[in-house]
Amino acid sequence: MSIADFKEDCFHLPPNLTVRAISAIRQEMLQLIDKNRSTTIAFADDCQVDISFVQLMEAARIYAVSAGKNIALAEPANGPVLDVLERSGFLEGMSADDATFWLHQGGIQ
Amino acid sequence: MSFPDPIAVFRTEAAELLEQIEAGLLDLNVNLGDKDRIDAVFRGLHTLKGSGAMFGFDALAAFTHHCETAFDRVRKGEVPATQALVTAVLEAKDHMRALVETPAGDHEATSEALLANLRAAVEGADNPSAAQALSAPARTLFKIRFSLPQNAMANGTNPLPLLDELRELGECRIVADRSAIPSLDLLSPTDLHISWNVELLTSQPRSAIEDVFIFVMDDMQLEITAVEAATSAARSPESRETPVQPVEPVATEPVTASASRVSAPVTVAPLPTDAKASKTSENVRVPAEKLDELMDRVGELVIAQSRLSQLAGGSGDLQLRAVSEDVERLSGELRDTMMVLRMVPVTQLFGRFRRLVHDLSHETGKMIELVTEGESTEVDKSVIERLADPLVHLVRNSCDHGLETPDERLAAGKPQAGRIMLSARQQAGEVIITIKDDGRGINRERVRAKAEASGLIPPNANLTDQELYQLIFQPGFSTAQQVTNLSGRGVGMDVVKRTIDALRGTINVASHAGQGSEISLAIPLTLAIIDGLLVRVGAGRYVIPLSAVEECLELSIEEDMRSRGRSFISLRDSLVPFLRLRDLFRTGTKPDPFQKVVVISTGSERVGLVVDQIIGDHQTVIKAMSKLHHDVATFSGATILGDGDVALILDVGHLVTEGQQQEAHLRAAG
Repeated sequence: MSIADFKEDCFHLPPNLTVRAISAIRQEMLQLIDKNRSTTIAFADDCQVDISFVQLMEAARIYAVSAGKNIALAEPANGPVLDVLERSGFLEGMSADDATFWLHQGGIQ
Repeated sequence: MSFPDPIAVFRTEAAELLEQIEAGLLDLNVNLGDKDRIDAVFRGLHTLKGSGAMFGFDALAAFTHHCETAFDRVRKGEVPATQALVTAVLEAKDHMRALVETPAGDHEATSEALLANLRAAVEGADNPSAAQALSAPARTLFKIRFSLPQNAMANGTNPLPLLDELRELGECRIVADRSAIPSLDLLSPTDLHISWNVELLTSQPRSAIEDVFIFVMDDMQLEITAVEAATSAARSPESRETPVQPVEPVATEPVTASASRVSAPVTVAPLPTDAKASKTSENVRVPAEKLDELMDRVGELVIAQSRLSQLAGGSGDLQLRAVSEDVERLSGELRDTMMVLRMVPVTQLFGRFRRLVHDLSHETGKMIELVTEGESTEVDKSVIERLADPLVHLVRNSCDHGLETPDERLAAGKPQAGRIMLSARQQAGEVIITIKDDGRGINRERVRAKAEASGLIPPNANLTDQELYQLIFQPGFSTAQQVTNLSGRGVGMDVVKRTIDALRGTINVASHAGQGSEISLAIPLTLAIIDGLLVRVGAGRYVIPLSAVEECLELSIEEDMRSRGRSFISLRDSLVPFLRLRDLFRTGTKPDPFQKVVVISTGSERVGLVVDQIIGDHQTVIKAMSKLHHDVATFSGATILGDGDVALILDVGHLVTEGQQQEAHLRAAG
């Protein structure tokens, strides 16, 4: 399985990834994971992000594992998403799986 | 409508910032570990640099940047605050003032020299051994665990700025705990399920950590555990062998809504920033000369009102009288408001002496403690401005001549550090400023010998202590055996006398050998408008400042005849000397049949002034006497009456002294 495969079912997130828009994103993401065996998430470089998005992605990873599905990011976290990961303490003590998912370090989850 | 020159506004603001920086540095010098002061100085430098750059003061901005950087390192705990650093930044602060005032001047050499000093001070502080020697602030490792209320995000609380604030407190390791995040299908995405574990190495107290969460503390879970205390040097890689000091075991203190600690910090929430900002916006900065201009206008209005009152009083027109009374009331209120606007607390005046004493302490090698009292006492701004120079002379004199060296003090059984107390208080329309030291006291014999040698007094003249001590204010008078750059040249004290005289004030000196000296300056609260009591003596009218008037009595012809040669009246079992102003002013007129005695006082001293008639109260706009009359001691100024005539204002202090001298002579004569 490669990133390119995931990109076929790529879910392009809206630019607003904050608590104001998070409920709608959750709903769409839930449907997407349910519908597809593998889901790839893409976000814009200049998106607005807060901790609610990071939390949502972590919840999505848990759901995907329990449902026997795959979920991945189209690109390693960068820009505002990487900034939130860093400021919120997600990068500290990151496991290998976490590093693979968020930073594309190592193999693909 | 004219708009203020932005450069002038910047200069005013810069002067205030520099004062704040200086005050912060002087406070810090007393307590080098005071984080609040370090932050305040840093903020002051930061603001000065930023505003300087904005208004084109590039040299100032560039120079201040170095000081700001030094304090940023102190703030971050990278180097400790040291006295050398404080002194270097104090000197740099003086240079910043020059860069504000004359930005185009040639400051390069001075800037370089001061920055070299600053670098040396920072490097000295950066040296681990030096840092330990100078008691670097201890740093503590805190373990913090917190979770915010579940609805925090929905309520608009963003955890990221809180985490950023924690990072600003010191070296910080933040790990998000995501173990409580549910699966996406169960997730309520606007609820917060993440908690955090933080290790923070900081010199800040626990309260600083709690302050970070002050606005969310009610519903959150916060555990703060102090693990160890260490100096910053102990944590640096170069000094790993330096033992980390264990701290007393500190119990983990979970802070919840029910914890008693929660409510207290909330009341001292970091609101001041906003509160201060909103308060500042309620103030308007007005140039001092505008206030002076307004005061002059009010003065003219008071004179015009006085004329109107006189015209209305002589007229039968009831409507005119009513209008006149309204104008009188309104002008009185306007005058009172104006006077309040001009009053400033003496703290502005006293503040500058902290630096002076700090510098004098270094120059003389003496340990000097400056204590101030009554800083909230308010005085007219023009009086404050004119008091600055005399006080500088007096404080310098106390430091140089008054206080002994630490060795001399120890030998005399005194504490090593000498003490200078500056105090202010209001008393009967006057402000009393006192400079008191606990030094060796004025050497009476040396003053007498010097005065005799200078021909100021004849040999063996019979003088009271007060009369003798007043001689130190004579031009060229100095008993110092050595001329230093501080004092001893005999210039200065006469300047004090001249200035206080010009302010219509008096100087009182008290001294006790081995115990110290006390110089009190009694100055009128205002130099502009006073409430006066208008009296007539012969054909002339005079104003007595109402604040000095205690009571008015009638002096019958019989009493007047009885008191001839004595000039005392009996006032509730005490004898009060009185002066016949008719005689004093040589009016050449016969006394009125029912003369009045106006009893005036300065503190505990009282004297009666015999006048022909008490006309009534009078708002008195004080006009200075001409240079031709500057040596007329009985009058302190003049005023224009409603009918255009001039009335002289009596100098209460001088008259009371004269009355007391008369009493002393009469007592001596038996």
